[in-house]
Amino acid sequence: MEKSLATLDNGTTCSAWNYSGQRLATGSVDGTLSIFDSCDPASTSFKCTSKARVGESGVVKVVWIPPLFGDAVACIDGNGSSSLWEELAEDAQAVEWKHCKSFQSNSAKVLDVQFGVFRTILKMVVAYSGGQVKVYELSNPLELKNWQLQAEFQNLTDSVAKLAKASCFSASVSWNPQRGDGQEMSFVLGFNSDTPQLNSSKVWEFDLDHQRWVPVAELALPEDRKDQVFSVAWAPNIGRPYEVIAVATHKGIAIWHLGSNPDTDGRLSVERVALLSGYEAEVWQMEWDMSGMTLATTGTDGMVRLWQSNLNGIWHEQAAFEPAT
Amino acid sequence: MPGLAPGDSAGGGPDSVNGTLVPYSSDSHVSAIYPLRHGLNPPISRVSVSWGRGNSLRVSVFRQPDSDPKSDGEVGGKVVEVTLGKSRDGEISDAQWRKIAYGSVSPFALLQSRKNSTASLSRMQLSPSPYHLEWWEYVMEYSKDIGSLLGDPKTALATLIEDPNEVFPKKVEEPSSLKAAWELMEMFYVDKLSQAWLPERLVDWLADYNSLISIDLPTVHSKLVEFQNQIVTLQVIEDDPRYWDLISSALAVGWLEIVTENGLVEAVAVLISKMPRMRPAIDAGKIGECFKAKPDFVKAWERWRAQITKLDSSAFWIQCDHRQTREGLKNMLQIMLGNVDVLCSSTCHWMELYISHFLYIRPFTAGLESMYSLAQKCFRLKHTSNPHKLMRLMIGILGENNEVVLAECSRGFGTWMVAHAIELLTAGSNEADILVHEEREDLGGISLEELHRLVYAQLLSSHLLTWQIAPIYLTSCMRQGMGLLEILLLKQPVQENQMLLKNLEICRLYELDGISSHLMEISGMYHWKHGRKGCAVFWLQQAHDEVRLSGIASQLFDSVGKSISGESFKQWEGLIELLGSEGQLAGGLDFLHKYRDFKKCLQHAESRKDADAARQAVESLMSLMRNASTPQRFWLPILYDAVKLLSWDEGPLINVGQTNLLLNKLQELSVARLRPDFVEAELPTQALNHVRYSLATNLGRAILGEL
Repeated sequence: MEKSLATLDNGTTCSAWNYSGQRLATGSVDGTLSIFDSCDPASTSFKCTSKARVGESGVVKVVWIPPLFGDAVACIDGNGSSSLWEELAEDAQAVEWKHCKSFQSNSAKVLDVQFGVFRTILKMVVAYSGGQVKVYELSNPLELKNWQLQAEFQNLTDSVAKLAKASCFSASVSWNPQRGDGQEMSFVLGFNSDTPQLNSSKVWEFDLDHQRWVPVAELALPEDRKDQVFSVAWAPNIGRPYEVIAVATHKGIAIWHLGSNPDTDGRLSVERVALLSGYEAEVWQMEWDMSGMTLATTGTDGMVRLWQSNLNGIWHEQAAFEPAT
Repeated sequence: MPGLAPGDSAGGGPDSVNGTLVPYSSDSHVSAIYPLRHGLNPPISRVSVSWGRGNSLRVSVFRQPDSDPKSDGEVGGKVVEVTLGKSRDGEISDAQWRKIAYGSVSPFALLQSRKNSTASLSRMQLSPSPYHLEWWEYVMEYSKDIGSLLGDPKTALATLIEDPNEVFPKKVEEPSSLKAAWELMEMFYVDKLSQAWLPERLVDWLADYNSLISIDLPTVHSKLVEFQNQIVTLQVIEDDPRYWDLISSALAVGWLEIVTENGLVEAVAVLISKMPRMRPAIDAGKIGECFKAKPDFVKAWERWRAQITKLDSSAFWIQCDHRQTREGLKNMLQIMLGNVDVLCSSTCHWMELYISHFLYIRPFTAGLESMYSLAQKCFRLKHTSNPHKLMRLMIGILGENNEVVLAECSRGFGTWMVAHAIELLTAGSNEADILVHEEREDLGGISLEELHRLVYAQLLSSHLLTWQIAPIYLTSCMRQGMGLLEILLLKQPVQENQMLLKNLEICRLYELDGISSHLMEISGMYHWKHGRKGCAVFWLQQAHDEVRLSGIASQLFDSVGKSISGESFKQWEGLIELLGSEGQLAGGLDFLHKYRDFKKCLQHAESRKDADAARQAVESLMSLMRNASTPQRFWLPILYDAVKLLSWDEGPLINVGQTNLLLNKLQELSVARLRPDFVEAELPTQALNHVRYSLATNLGRAILGEL
């Protein structure tokens, strides 16, 4: 049933596939970034083709940059700094993974980095352990060196309020994987922190008229707003009149529907259509399939679970995989 | 959504979650847990997932990093892939499966186009021409085309029992349950001509597929096969009660040719061969007298039964002193007389009993309602706890429960089956038509038909060799098909030109210009970053990506500005040629050509102190500055370069009029610099003042010179 694709070195801690599933990037405890390729597109055996030392401490997360900007990844290391690396062949030299940019913050650690594309613009959201969120914009689409800080805010529904420094253990960002140019850019963000107001997942949308990011929805029932969020995932939308977003907390995985028409306050309607519980584990990761119909999750119990809605819109666990030797 | 579970679990029991989408199921749902073998030594520290193409799920499993130097060679993790939704029970190989997938494309597409033209005819309120076929006839053609892909299950039932090597059902080809299911759907929903003789079609169907339906109970077929294996050891076959038992069973399910060719007493064999059959024709090699019209059949049937009754009470039996033969033959007469108890003991599976009812008790059964109640009766008599998927489908069909039929198609036979069999179902029932075309809010506004096509297309997308036929199914989906097609195309790798061209062709076919540009941009960027600059410029031009092209132009400008000698300049020069001189890009590129000429002249003038070259450089300069396509942000660097000409030792090269023009440009530039979007050129901070001073000095010298 299962087919082996690649074998990873001792010390590998994280992995990420690129947009086409043709390249795998992994990070390891010794700060190495490894890239795996298959020898031809039809093959399903992936071998390490290049390695680069990206930091002193271990890599904890690797994120691919959208292909429109080359073959590049962002690496978050154990010290909480992040750096961008890209594959380049300059002036007839061999292809090499080269460093293009580092993001360091003196006090706060980088918890999550995610990229979104709007028309030709690449944006990067960075969530920090102090509870701040920074949105950067790439200045020149041909190079990944120069980034402009576009906005800095906290994950609060009241965008004017400011909180004292928080302490966050993890954060999860997921961009709206929109395709058309009709929509504004938006992403969802949730924290796992000691500051209750920061935790709940909020949907942030870029207000083009005022050139700022505004929270347009909060994905938590009033009684659940303080719950720490482990992971968020925005589903691809191939034609539904509403968006679907999954949010994982200790209560389970909530599936939210997000309306598309804002009310007079600019808020979008939200409805929690399912709470998938009975799942005694902290969720590590959630991934939607290409149609946005199936959600795959992993968690502390080591299981891979698949969730779907049936014909009546009722969500349930469809199948589970238990890793075995 | 349906058919998610991995391939090897399909065809499981009723508790199997495989397939799901059983709309009548309750909320309680127990999901199955499948092992995922990765072969790593524990402890496992983390698992992560990523969706590959279509339904393939990639799982990375990481071992706890080992600090022990002794375990240096230890593998740190594994990445495995599981393709979900291959709902087949392994009876069809991957290659055969792809053959079916490819083969069903054109019948499907043809039927869709016929559907569209029929719909547009009815919209225009035109009646179809009298030469047009009825809709079900089109569907029948489709069904036959698809059915032929699924293999030919024809079995050669009749062989001689005397030859132990060729006994009983010898299959020409293994029948597949997919084909069996397809035929069931076809006979019940599409083939209007055979409606009058459905029971006889079921007799044929069972003869073809009897070998498939046994799970925990034997079938007549399995008994025959078993007996065949033991036959070599028997001396006189007629002495063995199992022989008579089997012959009766074969008779009960209508396999008359087996019965008559296996050395029966002639009187009985003749009777069997004259059995009236309510059907238009019978295949060569099969036995019975066919009747199309019911009255003729009834007459023949009564006459035949009378003959059996007569034989049953004849003196023959007294003379027959071979006990086993006598009892065996008497038993067979009871079967032909429709003795329920004998039929029940001669058959194994409920479906066999059902068929024997059609043959010997109720040959006139018609209409699904009565067929269903008869099926229920037989099911009660031969109850099985774990019915085969074909039987579940059959019960759904007989029970006229369209939702069950769809769910059984999906869970038993997979996404291919349900996506294609919907056409059969809707041809046969208006209710089904409404059911599958109704737009459902719970499904995000799509119909069941669309859902099943999307799910099938997603499965097709999982494989490199089948994803290219997914667009055919996606474009038949009104609401969400194009959305999924766009995502599918955006996930295709574009590094290989050949593959890119193929993807672009698909975009062109379905008028997806935006996606096509996007793919070309990705390709352009890939080549740009990998040192193939010419290729990059080509694709970016094809994509009309003005932002990136002007970025490239600006990099070119910098290079031209920095150095006009050496290898890199040659490379850039080639690129300038490639970029062309049409002013189609933002800012145009023709200025680059002019600037290159300007720099060359300037260099000549400077190195050789050549006044002619200097005058040429001035001409180039003026032409550059007069040209509207020279981007404003390049003005200052050009003027800064021109300082050398402005301070030419042998006297002013630039006259009053020309100097005034340059001063005006400088003035314009000073105003423009106040705008927020102005991009400063990378020049020394004093560059502007320097230029201004040089221009003023030159103006003075020029005025003096012209006096």
